[in-house]
Amino acid sequence: MGLKDKLNRMKEGYEAKAPKESLDILHRATEALKNSGIMERVVKVGDKGPDFTLKNTEEQDVNLHHLLEQAPVVLIFYRGKW
Amino acid sequence: MVAVSPQLVKHNQAIKKEKNLSFDILSDPGNQVAAQYGIKYKMADELIKLYKQFGMKVDEHNGDDSWTLPMPSRLIIDRDGTIAYAEINPDYTVRPEPEDTLAALKELGA
Repeated sequence: MGLKDKLNRMKEGYEAKAPKESLDILHRATEALKNSGIMERVVKVGDKGPDFTLKNTEEQDVNLHHLLEQAPVVLIFYRGKW
Repeated sequence: MVAVSPQLVKHNQAIKKEKNLSFDILSDPGNQVAAQYGIKYKMADELIKLYKQFGMKVDEHNGDDSWTLPMPSRLIIDRDGTIAYAEINPDYTVRPEPEDTLAALKELGA
């Protein structure tokens, strides 16, 4: 089973238990984001990826261009765990 | 591979340890880098209220009260800095298949 199928099963399990009012809010927020025009402003294939320097979990600076000197970089944006 | 999250360093440390991750998680205060990639957004007011009800303290975790997040994204940046692959979805419940990303990486000879 691929990641998408696994996530869909998790989602179905969660949505079966969650209160309808909460789900309505989540779904409305996702639709509003989709329709906000944000997808027209995101970076696209062929654009330059803006360089950055950010702190890792050891409080060390990590720079994108420095990493690229070694190999292409898979860059993942992750929301967090609250 | 690096992951970027708006969370404070200490929360990224907790996840890295819990999941025993071998790659770096970088902290992006205020989603400033996410904004440069065009993927930063502000949560809807009713969504913020819901998160607060469920005790999901995005503000405390991120160290600011902007209630902004990045859209979950997976990109490949080629050696010359060009974006070679981009999977960005406004629906946070949808994530791309890892196999698709690996295939794109192979094409770059990585």
